[in-house]
Amino acid sequence: MVSRGLTVSELIRLDKICVEYAAKKVLHDLDLSIARGEFVAVCGQTGCGKSTMLRLILGAEQPKSGRVLIEGRELCRPDRHRGYVPQKYSLFPDRTVLDNITFGPEMEEFGLLGRIRPGYYRRRRELRAEAIRQMKHMGLQESDAGKYPDQLSGGMQQRVAIAQALIMKPKILLMDEAFSALDPGTRTDMQRLVRSVWAETGTTILFVTHNIAEAIFLGTRVVVLGKETPEGSSKVVLDMEVPDSIRSSSGYPTRDVLDRLTGAIENAAVGGKLEFEMAEFGG
Amino acid sequence: MGFLPMLWRVDARPNRVTAWTLSWFLFAVGVSMYFYTARNRHVLNPEDKVVPSLHQITQGLTDSLTKADSDDDASTGFFNSMLWTDTVASAKRFGWAMLLLVPAVLLGLHMAMFPVVGQFFLRFILFFDKIIALSVLPILFIAFGIDELSKIMLIVIGVTPTIILDTFNLSKSVPPEQIVKGFTLGAHDFGVSYAIVLKQIMPRILNSIRLNLKAVMLFLFAGEMIASQNGLAFRIALLRRHMGMNIIIPYVLWVALLLFLVDLSMRLLNRKLHPWFREA
Repeated sequence: MVSRGLTVSELIRLDKICVEYAAKKVLHDLDLSIARGEFVAVCGQTGCGKSTMLRLILGAEQPKSGRVLIEGRELCRPDRHRGYVPQKYSLFPDRTVLDNITFGPEMEEFGLLGRIRPGYYRRRRELRAEAIRQMKHMGLQESDAGKYPDQLSGGMQQRVAIAQALIMKPKILLMDEAFSALDPGTRTDMQRLVRSVWAETGTTILFVTHNIAEAIFLGTRVVVLGKETPEGSSKVVLDMEVPDSIRSSSGYPTRDVLDRLTGAIENAAVGGKLEFEMAEFGG
Repeated sequence: MGFLPMLWRVDARPNRVTAWTLSWFLFAVGVSMYFYTARNRHVLNPEDKVVPSLHQITQGLTDSLTKADSDDDASTGFFNSMLWTDTVASAKRFGWAMLLLVPAVLLGLHMAMFPVVGQFFLRFILFFDKIIALSVLPILFIAFGIDELSKIMLIVIGVTPTIILDTFNLSKSVPPEQIVKGFTLGAHDFGVSYAIVLKQIMPRILNSIRLNLKAVMLFLFAGEMIASQNGLAFRIALLRRHMGMNIIIPYVLWVALLLFLVDLSMRLLNRKLHPWFREA
């Protein structure tokens, strides 16, 4: 395992986390530290606990033992500082694109009884203008604003979901297999979009995927979870920086580098020895 | 392949005329059979009341639309008529019953969203749901008297547990991702419950209430038939004693039409309020 030391500006810390479902250990003694501004891609085989780890950081799930610290504080439920983009059900089906995006700010500022508060309609107009800007930034048309989620393609839905999360300016953006259901072309577009959003906003992103190539494409750091034995609990089998030097001018690793890295990581994920040095790739 | 064998295939696509003919066929048969029987009975006994003729039904309908419900009351006009006063009396009870479904929906929602509320009520409501409402009718009459309250309570006991449990199950079926998402967008517990969950399940709740309209009317009619001084079911029960089929039949059809209209308006309201909703 390639170990990684503590970062300077730690935002998230998982401290000796244990999670069990029906007496079956999923995660055992998991330690992980994520610095502010990192783009961490977490990958691993199905059932290795990637999504569980994300839900722990989200606060949607509690560990059996251990602590999840965000900025040094233990949080017990999801809040507006952690944006969330799941694979499915990422949008509210009863709201239009625009209402989905403005839901967060409106709820935060006005609560349930917004309409009867003074200044609601003026502020709502401002929020909607901001939402339109966010939509355009995500590659959506203004004409999509009045559409309902089921009138959008999968890729467009995820664009809206990202806009919906980003308008809250979260400290952490948690994406759970967000592009898994998309076709390859749309997926590549979405990957480019998320990379550019990360580069622009500097938001810390934790991206869970089962696709190692996607993890290398996206992350500045790749964390691979794997099981010690097929029935056993998962641990971090690889935690490595993805150096910028392996990326071509387009920002993405070349096919050759990607194939070699993917093969090496896949081997490590199933318990094999990690037989490469970053230096081979110019890192 | 011939036309008839084609219709018996599971992938048959009857054209508009065939579909229209098929859908009205049983109505036509029912009406024809009725008037055939009425004509035969009236040949044997011109005063037959069991299967009234069209003339008798028209006469009965005219009386119920123009005459007051009491022989002592000489007032005339539609708004003093028997049919109108009975309809208003039943509609008031129906309206109260529908209004009392609102707290039932809210209770179901809170039971699903707040585990403590769920633990507190669920077992009791499940038990309550198994009680046959009509079997507690005597208890209701003893406890609440034979006034309006007992009739409304009968509807409440008969229908609310179903609506509570329906709302509970519908709320539970909202994907957890949506609830987590709500929290990450700054909503609090009530915000998530009302602005996300209730809003999403509302069209299904309205459908559930629509499906229970007949049960509401059933309990309303049971209460009115046993102890009432007015109402559509009271009139039907009263006229049964006098073999007033010429009025009973229009009343039955009127009740069916009213229920159809309530159902239709709820469907249209659902479509208007929830344009995003696609029925499965």
